[in-house]
Amino acid sequence: MSTITRKAAFAGLASLGAIALLAGCASAPAANTASAGASNFIPCMVSDAGGFDDKSFNQSGFEGLKAAAAKLGVTPITTQSAAETDFAPNIQSLVDQGCNLITTVGFLLADATKASALANPTINFAIIDDSSIVAPNVKPIVFDTAQAAFLAGYVAASYSTTGVVGTFGGMQIPPVTIFMDGFVDGVAYYNAQKSASVKVVGWDVAAQTGSFTGGFAAGVEAKTAAQGLIDQNADVIFPVGGPIFLSAAEAIKDSAKPIVMIGVDADAFLTAPDISSLFLTSVLKQVGVGVSDVTNAAAAGTFDNTPFVGTLANDGVGLAPFHDFSAKVKSGLQAELDVIKAGIIAGTIPVVSPSSPK
Amino acid sequence: MSVTTTNSNNASSAASGANSPSQVIVREKEAIRSWKAPISFAVFAALGVVLFWILGRDAVSNFRLSTDTDVIQLASVDLPTQLTGIVISLALILITAYSFWLSVVKRPTPIWVVTVYGVLFMVGFLTWAGAGESILVPGLLLGAVGLSIPLIFGAMGGIISERVGVVNIAIEGQLLAGAFVSAVVASVTGNAYLGLIAAMAAGMLVSFVLATFSIKYLVDQVIVGVVLNVLVLGLTSFFYSSILTENSSLLNSPPRFDRIEIPLLSQIPIVGPVLFRQTLIVYLMYIIVAVVAYALVKTKWGLRLRSVGEHPQAADTVGINVYMTRFWNVSLAGAIAGIGGAYFTLGSVGSFQKDMTAGAGFIALAAVIFGRWDPIRALLAALLFGFATNLQSVLAIIGSPVPSEFMLMLPYVVTIIAVAGFVGKVRGPAASGKPYIKG
Repeated sequence: MSTITRKAAFAGLASLGAIALLAGCASAPAANTASAGASNFIPCMVSDAGGFDDKSFNQSGFEGLKAAAAKLGVTPITTQSAAETDFAPNIQSLVDQGCNLITTVGFLLADATKASALANPTINFAIIDDSSIVAPNVKPIVFDTAQAAFLAGYVAASYSTTGVVGTFGGMQIPPVTIFMDGFVDGVAYYNAQKSASVKVVGWDVAAQTGSFTGGFAAGVEAKTAAQGLIDQNADVIFPVGGPIFLSAAEAIKDSAKPIVMIGVDADAFLTAPDISSLFLTSVLKQVGVGVSDVTNAAAAGTFDNTPFVGTLANDGVGLAPFHDFSAKVKSGLQAELDVIKAGIIAGTIPVVSPSSPK
Repeated sequence: MSVTTTNSNNASSAASGANSPSQVIVREKEAIRSWKAPISFAVFAALGVVLFWILGRDAVSNFRLSTDTDVIQLASVDLPTQLTGIVISLALILITAYSFWLSVVKRPTPIWVVTVYGVLFMVGFLTWAGAGESILVPGLLLGAVGLSIPLIFGAMGGIISERVGVVNIAIEGQLLAGAFVSAVVASVTGNAYLGLIAAMAAGMLVSFVLATFSIKYLVDQVIVGVVLNVLVLGLTSFFYSSILTENSSLLNSPPRFDRIEIPLLSQIPIVGPVLFRQTLIVYLMYIIVAVVAYALVKTKWGLRLRSVGEHPQAADTVGINVYMTRFWNVSLAGAIAGIGGAYFTLGSVGSFQKDMTAGAGFIALAAVIFGRWDPIRALLAALLFGFATNLQSVLAIIGSPVPSEFMLMLPYVVTIIAVAGFVGKVRGPAASGKPYIKG
């Protein structure tokens, strides 16, 4: 019995090894074409577990990189992570392929990025959504999304007829909770301005506790979380975290109630055309802009480690148009939003979140 | 087994009864004093006293018992949080005392006492956690059932496979394959029923690999299962990224099964909308659980299946084809798990997403073991897990003082407590995981 087990274990390891080798072979030609390009600058990128097709920040970052690379006439090398254990090996493989700039997408890659940046001081790194690494060759690309989410909260409170709006997140990490903080504060601002009493379920700013699905997969858990918000009478739902809004959309369809959603990262009206009629607006986080800025700077030899902070002021974050809802929102809402936006930029309306970039 | 022994004893005593009718064999019964139930009760009663009474919050907890669409509208119930907490704590203490007394006189704590205790504790907990808030009870239960369905299908597949002697670690892979294939087939054909059949075929395909390697080539079943899970995850993620996202309107927008309301039954307050306003897949689940539970112990198929899983040599000597029995039952297990996969796409979310099963197959595997390889117990284990997951979700929404990360652990903690407290030692099918070599 034990010999069979051991044999089988070796067979399993051997086949895994073979797969790893094959995978290694597959990526090699990409490196060759890249170095054969017009310039020998190679920008590279590692995704987190969401992949570059997540209709969210991995995808935005990837598109920013592609746009910058096309303009520079170079071929980028990209690699996707399937799990957290892939982060370090993926970064290492890009280092081995001679990348000059490695952009790591996501807060979850901070540890792996830091380790690799310290080990390879000649390679430049950029990391999205994390500002914890202080090194001469690491540029953080961060976004004060609380500012834009504040506007979204104001819109939600203004739109709600049941007087309840809800939010839930993928995982409780700062790049997610910063949206929820801004959203709740925006609702509170609306209540203060209009003497209303719109309630937010799913996130408590003071206690920093709330509703999370435990991951960024659009599965049954995310649908159940959205259903829970609907059961609490919420008629505007703000799902924060990659593709989990897809599950929320199904919960809304099941309820057959006039419930709307607010998208995150990209303008969901455009990126998710099947369900565009459910999106009141979206909170934009222009990851692509940040990535292409940093890529262009690195190609021009002007890379530095001062963080790129996306704000309302530099259009790094913002609120998408209302599209189909522009006739359904209260008249004068856009004017009020413009005033609030100016106030936030001027600092007269303070928007602070424990997760805001320092 | 014990039934057979008793019968033969009766038969022999009846046979010898002609000579000496007074010689009836009386079996001595050894009473065992078990402290497990009272001790578990005491722990929870102490927790109840601390939470509901000492930390009791002075507010009113509102329970809504009907959804907007119900015909019979029950009024919502307002419970004063603190008073309810005190009453329930006292009731818990009384039941604990009763259970201790039962153990002292060497009698087991009956299952209805455990059930009453569990329900009381839950009501107390919800009242405490929902202080000043409103909880929709059918919503809580509906979400619990929704989260349990893939686990139940997976567990049924696991039970059939393991009872016939093949360890099925590949449930996760079967669910994921079913979810992927059903989404693609249903999208292309525009027919959800074809999607469901394709999901069964996909689950079966995964099973074919598992069965071939473990039965014919005697490869370690755990390793084949793990490799299959990784393989299916890799394949579906690859096809999702490379093909499905490019043509999502053609390949990844399947029609979903509509909800079917069962007349009368769906009007029962609270449980009606939860159990009888569901999609076809859920009704299939009721049928499959009932059929598996009955057929495993009452039919020729079940007897053969279990004999192959317990003692293949003995089964072989009486002419049962061990290899074929194993192969086709493992395939059947895959088909059932495949339906669970179709639930993700055709029953719930409405499109395939990368790694959308998110470990449900492993929880289903746990439900098989917690359920002691018994369909009904596994069903209860899966429901318990689904309930705890949804409870976590609902409490997080209404605002709970506990950090989110700890709340996410709740389903696992509840499962561990349930297993340690009420299940105890488990014994699987004797030949499960052991390849059979004839000769």
